[in-house]
Amino acid sequence: MKFAYYPGCSAKSTCAELNVALRKVAVALDLQLTELESATCTGAREIRAIDPVGFLTLNVRILALAERDGLPLMTVCNTCTLNLIDANAIFEEDKDLARQVNLRLAEEGLEYKGTTRVTHFLWVLFEDIGAERLRELVVNPLNGLSVAAFYGCHITRPPGKYGFIDSRNNQSLEQLSELLGCKPVDYTGRTECCGFHTAAHDERIAIKLTGQHIQSAKTNGAHAMVTPCPLCHTVLDSFQKEIEKDAGKKLDMPVLHLPQLVGLALGMSHEELRLDKHVVSTDALR
Amino acid sequence: MNVQVDARSIGKAENFDGLLARNTRLNPGDPVRIRVRRFDADRPDQSGFESFVVPYDASMRVLDALNYIAEHFATDLAYRWLCGSKMCGTCAIRMNGREVLACWESVEPDMTIEPLRNLPVIRDLVVDRAPYEARVAKFEPWLERSTDYAGFPEPLSHKDMKNASKALDCISCMSCFSACPVVGLGNLTDFAGPAPLVQLAQTALDVRNDPAKVASALEHAGIFNCVSCYKCEEVCPAKIPIVTRIIEPLKAKTAELVPHAARHSMVFRAIVASRGRIDPSELVLRVQGAKVLLQVGRALRLLLRGKINPLKTLFGKNRGAADAASRILDQ
Repeated sequence: MKFAYYPGCSAKSTCAELNVALRKVAVALDLQLTELESATCTGAREIRAIDPVGFLTLNVRILALAERDGLPLMTVCNTCTLNLIDANAIFEEDKDLARQVNLRLAEEGLEYKGTTRVTHFLWVLFEDIGAERLRELVVNPLNGLSVAAFYGCHITRPPGKYGFIDSRNNQSLEQLSELLGCKPVDYTGRTECCGFHTAAHDERIAIKLTGQHIQSAKTNGAHAMVTPCPLCHTVLDSFQKEIEKDAGKKLDMPVLHLPQLVGLALGMSHEELRLDKHVVSTDALR
Repeated sequence: MNVQVDARSIGKAENFDGLLARNTRLNPGDPVRIRVRRFDADRPDQSGFESFVVPYDASMRVLDALNYIAEHFATDLAYRWLCGSKMCGTCAIRMNGREVLACWESVEPDMTIEPLRNLPVIRDLVVDRAPYEARVAKFEPWLERSTDYAGFPEPLSHKDMKNASKALDCISCMSCFSACPVVGLGNLTDFAGPAPLVQLAQTALDVRNDPAKVASALEHAGIFNCVSCYKCEEVCPAKIPIVTRIIEPLKAKTAELVPHAARHSMVFRAIVASRGRIDPSELVLRVQGAKVLLQVGRALRLLLRGKINPLKTLFGKNRGAADAASRILDQ
C-alpha cells in the first residue's frame, strides 16, 4: 500500500522519534511512504485563525502534492489531520475560493482537483491494513500492559467531521490496544484536551489540564499512555516534570506515540523505536 | 485489500440525536434510574446524590423525568425550565457527564444528573448566571456607529453577516461554558469562555460596528487562551460551530484591531512564512522573550534527548517548503 506521507512539523523536530518509529513500523506493515518533501506547515491553529485564505492555500497545496503523486495522504498528527480535512471541505464547498487558491498554486505548476483522501496512521491501521492482518503480524503481544489511550481533540471532535454525538464514545485506540495484547484503561482524560495550542505563549493551561489527565490515568492503573498526536505527546511527556511540580507528586508516566506501541507488539526494540528519546523514562515497560 | 471499516467513527453509538431514535433502548414502564445531585446552601451537610426510579414513558425527556420526580418524590427539587422546546436555554444540565438541554435530551436507563459546571450552584440543578452576565455586560455588546451611513437602505450582504448571524442562533443555555476546560480552570487566565464570546460575536463580527469599540472588547477577551478543543461545539444545542465560526473569526479580528494581543499567532505565521515549517525553539524564544529563561531546565532536558537542535534552529531550512510558504503568506 502506497501513501503520500505528511509528518508535520512536530514529527520533524521535537518529536523526531515519532517519524523514526513510524517509518520502521511502516516497513513492517508493508506501507510504502513517499514523503512530501516540500510540504509546509498546515498552519496549526494560528494561521488557521488569523489568515483563513493563507491557511486554505497552504493545506490545498499539500493536498495537491499528494494528488500529483496519485496517492492518499497519511498524517501522524491530529491537528494536521483536521486542518487538511477542513481545507478539503472548504475547497469543495466554496468554488470561488477554490479557484483563487488554484490560481496561487498555478504559480508553481500545481493544481488541485479535490480528489485526495486524507487519513491518519490510526485509521490506516483499521481501514487499509485491517484488524485481522494486524493480529497476524503481532509477534510480541503486550500482555499485562495496561495502557491509557489519550486521543486528544482533533481526531475525535468536532462532531461535524467525525459524527460522534458524544466524542467519548470513540473506541478506536482501545480496540487497537486490545488487538496488540494490552489492557485498555478507562479514565476521565481519554478524549480531553492537552492544552498544547496555548502552550507557546502560556503553558499553565496545558500543565493544569494535562496534569488532571495523567493523574486520572495513573489512578485507574495505567502503566503507560499512548497518543496518536505528537502535540499531545509533547505536553504529556516533555512537560511532565513541570506537571509533577505543579501537582506536587511524582507521576513517572511513560507516554508512547501510537507507532511505538504498534512497533513493540510487532517485536521491535525500544532502541529501534527511539523510546529512549522521551523525557519520561520508558524503562519500566521493558 | 481494503477492509470496509470507517475508522474515524469506531465506537459511534448514535446516528441521530432525535428523541425517538435514541429512546429505542426503553419500553414504556421500564425503570429509569436517576441520581440527582442535591445541594442547598442552608443545609450543606445534606448535599450529595439522591436516587430515584421513574417509570419510562414513550419519548420521555430528561425534563419529563425531573418533572416526575418533583411531582412524586421530591417536591423541593430545584431545576429551571420555561419553554420546553429548545428555545429559552434555561434547562441545561449535565447528564452522565455531558451538557444537555433537559427538554431536548432523551432519558437513558441509568442517568446521573448534575448542575452545569463553572458557575456557582444556587440550589440543586439551578446555577447562578451572574458571572456570565457580568462578563457579557463588560463587552458592551451593542452596535455603535462612529460615522453616519450614507443612505438608506444600507447595503449589507449575507457574506458580511455570515459569522455574526451564526452567533445570533445562541440561546444562552451555558452548555458550552460548562464544557469548556479553560473556563474550568477558574481565574488562571483572562479567557472569557465560549458563551460570552458568542454574545460578543453577535456585534463584534457585525461589519457595521465601530472598530474602536470592538477593539476595546477584544483586548479583554483573553481569546488566545482558547485551546481549540471543540468541546463547546460538541455540546451546543443550537449547533453553532463555535470554534470555526465564532472564536476563529474573533481571533482574526483581534489580530487586525489589537495586534499585540495576537502576538503569538502573528509570530507563528511569520516563522512559517520564512521557514515553511515551524521551529518550536524559535517560536518559544520569539513569543516569550526573556521569560524563556524560566524554562532552562526543560530546554536542557529536550536538548539531551535531541528534541531540540540549536544548529537546526539557526541554519536548518527546507528550501522547497520555505519558498512555497513565503509565496503564499507574504502577499
